Amino acid sequence: MIAEETLLNELRRPETLDKAFEVLVNTYKERLYWHIRRIVLNHDDSDDVLQNTFIKVYKNINGFKGESQLYSWMYRIATNESLTFLKKKSNKMGISDAELQDRMVSNLQADVYFDGDEIQIKLQEAIARLPEKQKLVFNMKYFQEMKYEEISGILHTSVGGLKASYHLAVKKLEAFLKED
Amino acid sequence: MKKTNNKKDFKVPEGYFEGFTDKLMERVSTSNADQQNLMLPKSDGFKVPDAYFEGLHSKIQAKLEGEETKVIPLNPWHKHLYYAAASVAIVVLLTIAIQFNQSPELTFESLANADIEDYFEQTDLGFSTYEIAEVIPIDDLEVSDILEYQFKDENIIDYLDDDIDNIEELNLLDND
Repeated sequence: MIAEETLLNELRRPETLDKAFEVLVNTYKERLYWHIRRIVLNHDDSDDVLQNTFIKVYKNINGFKGESQLYSWMYRIATNESLTFLKKKSNKMGISDAELQDRMVSNLQADVYFDGDEIQIKLQEAIARLPEKQKLVFNMKYFQEMKYEEISGILHTSVGGLKASYHLAVKKLEAFLKED
Repeated sequence: MKKTNNKKDFKVPEGYFEGFTDKLMERVSTSNADQQNLMLPKSDGFKVPDAYFEGLHSKIQAKLEGEETKVIPLNPWHKHLYYAAASVAIVVLLTIAIQFNQSPELTFESLANADIEDYFEQTDLGFSTYEIAEVIPIDDLEVSDILEYQFKDENIIDYLDDDIDNIEELNLLDND
């Protein structure tokens, strides 16, 4: 895998931009896709948000000051794009954020790109009820198996705070799954 | 610290210490796994269409090129439409403003009593009882202006007879 610094330099030079951008997309597309997918749940919406994320990265690469790692910056863009997408969707439908989350989970059963069983649907129901920060931390830690230090760089939260959020999220999810 | 049991009071199964570390580590890892979300499924059931990721870069590149080649004409027809709409809006607003200015001036008499009462009920004027009393001419006031119910004289006298212990309290001085 190409070193981040080299990639960044190539992305900033017009003559190497397109080639470097292709490398960037191919390197991060799957990781960013799954990050987005676990927030917006539906494949088509994830595809839209992922494309918009990369387009923003392409257009703003010269504004990236290198204060954080490139992948942290892209994850932040992906997170913001996903949350903004959901906000716009709930406003358009005239429903609350919580109601939208409920509908998204209900739609999973008819989604051709979801083959989860009963317990996996119940887990999504439980995740949908978590506060936004806990939801993000749980998905990044549990499903994407990211290190707390990496999550900290993306969400700008201390490692201690992330551990507390994750612990609380797991307790809530287990309690929800034990209910029935 | 003694490392061996020299007196050999007790015995252990043969090879016990050789396998101890492995057994312990196995138990630790099992215990960790138990602690770490045994209740929660490890996969989430999401799938993607076949070959979705293979075509992703081309889709993004096409979208980017589409945005770059989008040309904005220098003199678009809708620009003139905006100017025309703005002019019409200004004329309409001016007409309304002129008509509004020509309407008869509002006077105190033109206000409905209900509006005035409503204003006093809804607005906290911050006047004390004494300040209000100073501006209301007491000679023009009747008891009926203040009281909601009408009392007969005999009712008032009965009340004073029965309920006021010290009638002198009612003889207020001017400065009370």
